[in-house]
Amino acid sequence: MDQKEEDKIIENVTSQEYKEGFVTDIRQDFIPKGLNEDIIKMISALKHEPDWLLEFRLDAFRKWQKMEMPRWGHLDMPEIDFQDIIYYAAPKRDEDRPKEIDPKLEETFEKLGIPVREREALAGVVAVDAVFDSVSVATTFRASLAEKGIIFCSFSEAVREHPDLVRKYLASVVPVGDNYFAALNSAVFSDGSFCYIPKGVKCPMDLSSYFRINAAGTGQFERTLIVAEEGSSLSYMEGCTAPMRDENQLHAAVVEIVVEKDADVKYSTVQNWYPGDAEGRGGILNLVTKRGICKGSGAHLSWTQVETGSAITWKYPSTILKGDYSSSEFYSVAVTNNYQQADTGTKMIHIGRGTKSRIVSKGISAGHSQNSYRGLVRMNSGAVGARNYSQCDSLLIGSKCGAHTFPDIRSYNPTAIVEHEATTSKISDEQLFYCNQRGLNEEDAVGLIVNGYAHEVLSRLPMEFAVEATKLLQVSLEGSIG
Amino acid sequence: MGSSSSKKVYVLSAESSAGAFVKPPSRLTVGARETLDMTVIVLPGVSADIPLTIDLTGLGAEVNLKGIYLSTGTDEVSFSITMNHLVGGCRSRQLFNGLASGSAKCSFFGKIIVAPDAQQTEAYQENHNIVLTDEASVNTKPQLEIYADDVKCSHGATVGKLNEDEQFYMRSRGIPEDEAKVLQMISFVAPVLNGLEDEALMARIESAIRSLAI
Repeated sequence: MDQKEEDKIIENVTSQEYKEGFVTDIRQDFIPKGLNEDIIKMISALKHEPDWLLEFRLDAFRKWQKMEMPRWGHLDMPEIDFQDIIYYAAPKRDEDRPKEIDPKLEETFEKLGIPVREREALAGVVAVDAVFDSVSVATTFRASLAEKGIIFCSFSEAVREHPDLVRKYLASVVPVGDNYFAALNSAVFSDGSFCYIPKGVKCPMDLSSYFRINAAGTGQFERTLIVAEEGSSLSYMEGCTAPMRDENQLHAAVVEIVVEKDADVKYSTVQNWYPGDAEGRGGILNLVTKRGICKGSGAHLSWTQVETGSAITWKYPSTILKGDYSSSEFYSVAVTNNYQQADTGTKMIHIGRGTKSRIVSKGISAGHSQNSYRGLVRMNSGAVGARNYSQCDSLLIGSKCGAHTFPDIRSYNPTAIVEHEATTSKISDEQLFYCNQRGLNEEDAVGLIVNGYAHEVLSRLPMEFAVEATKLLQVSLEGSIG
Repeated sequence: MGSSSSKKVYVLSAESSAGAFVKPPSRLTVGARETLDMTVIVLPGVSADIPLTIDLTGLGAEVNLKGIYLSTGTDEVSFSITMNHLVGGCRSRQLFNGLASGSAKCSFFGKIIVAPDAQQTEAYQENHNIVLTDEASVNTKPQLEIYADDVKCSHGATVGKLNEDEQFYMRSRGIPEDEAKVLQMISFVAPVLNGLEDEALMARIESAIRSLAI
């Protein structure tokens, strides 16, 4: 391809707008900027929380103050001024009609294609919990789920209505002092989703939560807690977007998943936070702790993630395989373009006998981006006959980007078997030529090849998400060839 | 370093006079069209940190780096290797196989760095480990840090055990279990030793492997 053509294509990309980048103009409640015990008390009071939860927050805050920002990621992280963030922003509710959704807000979710209303019979197989800035605005299909004993609601509601469950499981997988951002989240978390599947119940529909940061200068700190009792099964999806802004906005979430004996949980994420502009200004700092525990024997947890957004992604969905013969999988596609940075991967901690895990990670870097896979596979001494297979492939598009692989394998058991392989390559001229020959232009060819490359992961996504993810991949990479 | 290929073999053994074995140098430079062929052999009874950084600084530089570690008792062996591809058109291959017995702790840290614009780099790394006892442990961290796109890089790492099907095959043909295990271990390290013709060294390695098979 000659230089001119290349320039044209690059120009195309840079003019490619982040289509979720609109701002919704609605009245919002804020609390003052900054972080101290008073702010935490204020958040807790605004949410009418019980004393134990306030104590939990304050304890987390005190731990957080003693901790240091982690620097080990392969990331060029801007200094975060934690005093310059608004920790709570909520759409103002019309007191007369507290059960109704603000029409503006509904419009926002409509634009994003999230059906908040149950009338969406077409998309009706998915129950959605939508979180706007700090509060959860709507949870659909509540009633039909309740018939089966399934609890799916916002975190705040769960605290009010099911305090025993929340108290039992909160911070049981990600302890308060687990890491810097988990501690911060535990101190200031605003809302999120809570999901409880009773014993033996197969959730009849996919559950989905949707996060959006709208207000400027705010951070989003959502907390998701999923509990699957013995023999139950669940497919859970999560999506995220944010408006375009020149500043970096912080997103520090915690997701905890408890999988009991023979239960099966599938957790899928399509992360499309605003990635910053072509020069690397702005964008979301996505610093997330996700962890699940396969508590009982035969439990199964599967993570699937498609990461296309965020200026910086720091995220390692992990599984603790405690139950004998429990199993877990991690499927990931991470795409970085322009000046995005991603340091993402997984941890598989094998404790029980005969536990199995599988890791498939596909990194795609373009532009000036840096994309790293970081993973830990640990075979404890009790993990008799445990098995892991990891495959991490990186695809480089352009000569200015970087792709890195940092696995860590620790085996303390002579009967455990761990295999890891990684490759790094680029789209070969032969592949492009083959597609060109058959009438595909360069751009479509790259899209086709990348989708083929990521197919193993994309095919694991629930239908609705797979379509979105395939489109996202195409948009994220548009014009990045050269 | 001369442009001709020279094979260097470092043997770290507890029998060395007063335990003063010679470790490989911690930093080496391989220039244009030069070839470095190096094998590091760590025998039982040795605890050592072996840091090694190799800079490939000229077009056509080639590195063949290999090693085995046979650890037992309370041995602690730790390799940290950095393969630094500073310019393009170079090739590096690494192969490290290790056996951990007793309550040995083995760790392998290997990093391949491909600098920006070091195009047409080929860099491969393999690390295979077998854990023989409950108390032994292995930690392997193969890493790739790549800043150029026209490269072929891969790494593979495994941690596992001796294959029982193979043992069954040999035992059903009259080979005692212990001997079968020795044969498996010899064949496990053999790819590293390909091309070495030092009979005396081979004999030492074989007896070291026999000492692990308990």
